[in-house]
Amino acid sequence: MRIFWSFARQAFQNTAIYRFDYWLQLVSVFLMMYSVHWIWTSLYSQHPAAFGVNVAQMVTYGILGMALEAIFNPGQGPQTYIATQLKSGGIDTDLAKPLDFHLHMLARNVGEILFRFGTLVLPSALIGGAFLGLQLPASPVAAGLFAVSLLLGYLALFALNFLLGMVAVITLDIRSISWAYSSLVRFFSGQMVPLWLFPGFLGALANVLPFRSIYAIPISIYIGKLNGSAALEALIFQSVWVVALFIVGRLAWSGVHTRLVVQGG
Amino acid sequence: MIHVDNLVKEYKRPVRKEGLFSGIRTLLSRDFAVKRAVDGISFHIEPGELVGYIGPNGAGKSTSIKMLTGILVPTSGRIEVNGLAPHKQRKEYTRQIGVVFGQKTQLWWDVPVIDSLRLLKDIYKVSDAEFKRNMELFSDLLDLHEFQHTPVRQLSLGQRMRADLAGALIHTPRILFLDEPTIGVDVVAKERLRNFIKEINRERKVTVLLTTHDMRDIEKLCTRMMIIDHGQMIYDGSVEQIREKYGRHRTLVVQFEREIPEFSAPNAECLKSVGGKLWFRFDRLATTPSELIAYISARYPIVDLAVEEPEIEDMVRTIYGGSEARGKEA
Amino acid sequence: MEELRIYMKLIRISMRSRLQYRADFITGIISVLVLNAVNLGLIGILVHRFSQLHGWTIWDLVFLYSMFVLSHSLYSLLFWHFNMMDTYIAQGTFDQFLIRPISPLIQFLGREIQYIGIGDILVGVAAFSLAYSNKGLHWQAWQWLFFTVAILSGTMIEMSIRWMIASTAFWLGRSLSLANIMNRFNLLVQQYPIDIFGTWFQVVVTVIPISFLNYYPSLVLLGKANDGTWLRFLPPMVAIVSISAATLVWRAGIRRYASSGS
Repeated sequence: MRIFWSFARQAFQNTAIYRFDYWLQLVSVFLMMYSVHWIWTSLYSQHPAAFGVNVAQMVTYGILGMALEAIFNPGQGPQTYIATQLKSGGIDTDLAKPLDFHLHMLARNVGEILFRFGTLVLPSALIGGAFLGLQLPASPVAAGLFAVSLLLGYLALFALNFLLGMVAVITLDIRSISWAYSSLVRFFSGQMVPLWLFPGFLGALANVLPFRSIYAIPISIYIGKLNGSAALEALIFQSVWVVALFIVGRLAWSGVHTRLVVQGG
Repeated sequence: MIHVDNLVKEYKRPVRKEGLFSGIRTLLSRDFAVKRAVDGISFHIEPGELVGYIGPNGAGKSTSIKMLTGILVPTSGRIEVNGLAPHKQRKEYTRQIGVVFGQKTQLWWDVPVIDSLRLLKDIYKVSDAEFKRNMELFSDLLDLHEFQHTPVRQLSLGQRMRADLAGALIHTPRILFLDEPTIGVDVVAKERLRNFIKEINRERKVTVLLTTHDMRDIEKLCTRMMIIDHGQMIYDGSVEQIREKYGRHRTLVVQFEREIPEFSAPNAECLKSVGGKLWFRFDRLATTPSELIAYISARYPIVDLAVEEPEIEDMVRTIYGGSEARGKEA
Repeated sequence: MEELRIYMKLIRISMRSRLQYRADFITGIISVLVLNAVNLGLIGILVHRFSQLHGWTIWDLVFLYSMFVLSHSLYSLLFWHFNMMDTYIAQGTFDQFLIRPISPLIQFLGREIQYIGIGDILVGVAAFSLAYSNKGLHWQAWQWLFFTVAILSGTMIEMSIRWMIASTAFWLGRSLSLANIMNRFNLLVQQYPIDIFGTWFQVVVTVIPISFLNYYPSLVLLGKANDGTWLRFLPPMVAIVSISAATLVWRAGIRRYASSGS
């Protein structure tokens, strides 16, 4: 797939221009991993048995939640690109390309995500492992399932972001909507606080929404909280949502395509 | 009015490496190269002059304009405009100049033009009487009244440029800097902008320095033209002079009765031949059209003929070409 | 003052511009409410399993949160536009502020009033009232005075930090990542008493004085400091130092811009 490769290269070059910016991103991730480490250690020191897993697992959960942010960021993705292109009027050159729009967005995003995985997720995981108590996956099987789940989680997030991009076509500005969107996604995907700690109704709601595909399922598999048939069920849950969201995304796109108003010019 | 002596501007720019792995390398280390964008330029502009400032992309035009408007500080050299050093006495200086950047508007995007102008009135402390007088002028010459209640984002490019000109002149500046004021504007709107600039220069005695890529702007507006390339001034003189210096060549176009083979005349070479029509290029100091016509008509019967003067654009291209060659040698 | 008068006029124009996007206004306010609900929800979930976090009860935490949001609300209303600085520099549109006889800072800040600050004010007042009544507080005059001074100092402190971060764009071209790090610090300091983190963290948020928005004032107002007398005078002093530092960085940045052009 040459197209993924060329977008990845583009991402490389863009990042290379702002190299200081890159180091700051690493610092930012480290800062979050550090504080999450402290929050959980502090909570466990008061109530060691209140959270359903041991402190090492919980710290691993929290740190991974931060390290994965570089690729699981609901504030950045096809929707930001679509919104920018709509404003600048560049969207019509995108539409003129002999490339399916949906696929084009995916290719562009995958390229960037691969790059971010290599330059941000891996280094921060290494730092987390070396200094902050990030543990290895619970078992080799868990590692394998984690990889699959991570991929499915990415696809789910991409599909959700793409849908937000479709909203951008209608409202032309998604700056403020995306704040609410990001914080809801972060909340219901269990990035900061695992979903099994959510009380009654909130917990039930989080379990049926697609968002837990993003952080909660892959990380729970990683730390061994989800294993055996429960892990497989979770993968099926993710797959079903991915397929459903992609279908909805295509339907939304064909609807939106026709009423696409190009600004400026 | 404008005095520029030995102006130099250097930039330090990171050298970008190509390729994937070099991309990673740039994350770790970086090389810098010093670029001389403006390399020792000097000129004087008298009050009331209308000067065209041209050069290929990246020649240093924008950098010069930015130094002249006080946005950038020169690396070395001296600028004095109306007795002020643009960068050092910025606040005072900005009251005396008007600036239009053709590429980006200086007006407020989402509000009607008139609101922007009223705001500028307050910013420059323009008196009510002066504001009224200027607005009348803009209505007369720019038809500003036609679209003054429209938000800038809904204006056509030509209208937007007119609005920007009004914005730059609302405080009756003595000097006007125009950076590509006709870029992207259609032919009719361009003509109108030119007429306005000419009018402002003639009636108000506003000194104008304008950059452009459209040589017709220069031909229609300017008496004087400065050409820079590679940061250096390669021509400064009247538009007439440039015709004399670089426009020595004329082309004689001759239509013959029938198709004839290409041939050359003394002091004139044949450029091309199409269906019995031949183009002869000659140096008007080396020979005259009548000599040439006499020579040619003695050989083949002529049906029609015309002498073409070179377009100023071609001349400028010749000049750029010369400096390009020099740049490569250096 | 002349510049202030112009600033007000600029703001009026910016507000008129914003009002053309009414839908955005409403979604903006709703977004802020959602955002805060989520933040408070997370704390609630963590703390509901037991009554307190490191000696802070749920209402202590809500109080801590509300102080931050109140300071932050004024900042985001008036100074949020600092976040857009690097865009101006990257696109070269910062030039427009240098060709007018008004200070570039006034022209820049006059470009936008971030109305979502209104959402923050709503959340801040609501959270503060809840905490105040649930904790059964009965403040005297000096406490109200300190509270007001602390909120305003907090606004100035956050403004100064954001101003400095924005100014780094003069050198770095982009300040987004630095601003993002700041958002991280904000979120942590806003939600948790900084004493649950390691010493390293506490030092950082005291040197970059973001914890003066809520943590230190809360120590005074909730009676958590052993001897809080000297702490009472600290917020306005920190604010003054921050503003001075930011002014210097900004001026250096403007000089740098004038010599590099980008």
